[in-house]
Amino acid sequence: MQTRWDVGEPHKPTINTRTEQLKSDLLTLNMGPQHPATHGVLRIEIWTDSEIVAHAIPHIGYLHRCMEKHCENLDFRGVIPFVDRLDYLASMNMEWNYAMTIEKMLGTEVPRRAELLRILTCELQRIASHLMAFGTYAIDLGAFSPFLYAFDYREKILRLFEEVSGARLLYNYIWIGGLWNDWSPEQISRVTAFCDDMEEEAKKYHELLSMNKIFIARTAHVGVMSVQDCIDFGATGPILRGAGMKWDLRKNEPYSLYSEFDFDVPVGTGEVGEPGDCWNRYIVRMREVVESIKIIRQVIEKLEPGSIMGKVPKVMKLPEGEVYFRSECPRGELAFHLVTKQDSKEPFRLKVRSPCFTHTSMLPRVAPGQMIADFVATVGSIDIVLGEIDR
Amino acid sequence: MNTQVHHTSSVKEYFGGLWDGIYSSLKGMWITFRYVWAVAPVSIEYPEVREVLPERARMRLFNDALNCISCTQCAMACPVDCIYIASEKLPEGSEIKKTSNGQAIRLHLTQFTIDTALCCYCGLCTTVCPTECLTHSHDYEFSAYTIDSMKYDYLAPDIVAWRDRIVKA
Amino acid sequence: MHKELSDLINRNVTGANAVAYLTADAKKFDSSITVETSHIYKVVEFLKTNKTTSFNSLHCISGVDYTDYMEVCYMLTNYDPSAVRNLTLKVRVTDRVNAAIDSVVGQFVSADFLEREVYDMFGIKFNNHPDMRRILCPDDWEGFPLRKDYVAQKDYNGMTVYPDNKMNMEDREFIVRQNMIKKAQAEKAQ
Repeated sequence: MQTRWDVGEPHKPTINTRTEQLKSDLLTLNMGPQHPATHGVLRIEIWTDSEIVAHAIPHIGYLHRCMEKHCENLDFRGVIPFVDRLDYLASMNMEWNYAMTIEKMLGTEVPRRAELLRILTCELQRIASHLMAFGTYAIDLGAFSPFLYAFDYREKILRLFEEVSGARLLYNYIWIGGLWNDWSPEQISRVTAFCDDMEEEAKKYHELLSMNKIFIARTAHVGVMSVQDCIDFGATGPILRGAGMKWDLRKNEPYSLYSEFDFDVPVGTGEVGEPGDCWNRYIVRMREVVESIKIIRQVIEKLEPGSIMGKVPKVMKLPEGEVYFRSECPRGELAFHLVTKQDSKEPFRLKVRSPCFTHTSMLPRVAPGQMIADFVATVGSIDIVLGEIDR
Repeated sequence: MNTQVHHTSSVKEYFGGLWDGIYSSLKGMWITFRYVWAVAPVSIEYPEVREVLPERARMRLFNDALNCISCTQCAMACPVDCIYIASEKLPEGSEIKKTSNGQAIRLHLTQFTIDTALCCYCGLCTTVCPTECLTHSHDYEFSAYTIDSMKYDYLAPDIVAWRDRIVKA
Repeated sequence: MHKELSDLINRNVTGANAVAYLTADAKKFDSSITVETSHIYKVVEFLKTNKTTSFNSLHCISGVDYTDYMEVCYMLTNYDPSAVRNLTLKVRVTDRVNAAIDSVVGQFVSADFLEREVYDMFGIKFNNHPDMRRILCPDDWEGFPLRKDYVAQKDYNGMTVYPDNKMNMEDREFIVRQNMIKKAQAEKAQ
């Protein structure tokens, strides 16, 4: 056994008079790269003492494609399909963040209609991503019905995206300076109809899962990450808000047109369980779906005809400098650190600060003392996507 | 750390908790049971029934080689370098044909190969094509047995024959 | 803001030599502070513990390889809306063979995974890091991918890294082969 990062006190096996004679070792289990509940190819080496986890060491890199090196050889527009494939369940947010990074350096003015449609698309994508998180979390814990209900509603969003952008998951839709295609009024009316349906559906999910005694017993008081822990580990997004801190980049450091909209930031208050446990992180996501619907309705009211693409040079040459641009993605705070050389046609260095990467490093702190089933609930509640972690 | 709350409950708490558990589970089961009669099924019976894809859907690429002017913009725009183009100058005095939108074809296209195994279906090549000969068709059932057969030669007669089906007037 | 911060650092941490790099256009580019590589731990400790600038969260450590030196950027932040919110701290590493910096894991636990990634991609070792090994690449991978002079190894555990049948060299060299065939035919005709 080489040096390990022993975070916290490893759980010491309880020894009573009868078992004193028995020498018990810790059992090593691999919650291996292929596992239905790890949301991707994540390998967690769990050292257990019977049912209780003593250490949990995550091993990542199974999906490493070295996207940052590839981007150094690509034109700025050609990077967008690569950026899609980071957090593939929330591609629009990834593209938007990248487009904003480049637009900040170029000083491009994005037309108002394009900004509003970007907000509309990314909030719809946030709903789709949270529905996926909800469905897969439920099925991790053994509840089989909510998975298909969530995917039914997610399908409506994906179908709309397919009509607008051409693809269901990896869109290449938000371009530098604006958008690729426009939304027709008929599609906007379908978004309104979807919002009405989704509000009803969210109430249904609340009754079906959130207030279900079994679900509460499995997630309340489980995997508690306090606000201080989250700040130490650099955790952001639903994890920090579930712990009790009201911090949302859309409100605290508004980018794009978010300062014009009126929405709440849901925070885990411990109405069931305690702040920072799996239930509160889950309920923050469900409430964010309702807030996103509010934002979408306001966007549709403000929408006016106009152009969707700003003035962007045909051959993009960026000045020398560096930018670190952050935005609020469904899983936390994503940031791009872009370094360019004078008149360069490709990024000199594009670093992706992925929220899930830092969230995975919290697992060794949270795991000791939990039972394996609780550990599965914790891993599901931090909602990781390996595409973003490994890049 | 996980804190299991252990305390002995009173009679009221015990039966109240029991009732909560039964009631919340029954409420959930009622929601699921409604799906038997109240919700229309969303599955379609593929392959007998096929969904009509939206117009902008980005499926397999098709290049109308008769209209291609060999500008190589698509090969330069491709982020994964899956388009291979080679062309040569027309022999002296040959007739300059025109594409369907009026541009003159000044080069003779000798190679137009797309490796669809590398293609990421992003659509960047279709946006830069000046004659719009490179488009996305709606074919999505083109799995093959070998990786080499995923390289499509768009000058081969069997692929050119797809024109009738894909290119609209 | 960066000028005041670098003065504050210079007053309180001797030998830090903090230099503020201010960009001409703050709306487009970011400013940063460069400090002496050997004093990074003391600077980070000062920035975290003093009352004026309580940067209590480390969000990102990003390495950049300018060919004559490598730079490591620390993105510090805090959640206090009234204080200075974000700071980019940079250090330079000139030795490419035995690149080493002190780890800041003692101050920020998030540096654990982030420094491992910088080691994996650039080869910069962090002293006093509890678990200094590769994180994204396999443990026995040779070379540091994000360095500018990186050349991928030919073989990994018996597998070829760039196999010929997937490189499409025949398609790329099509025109070259056609020209060679034409030349051979023209020579034969003469």
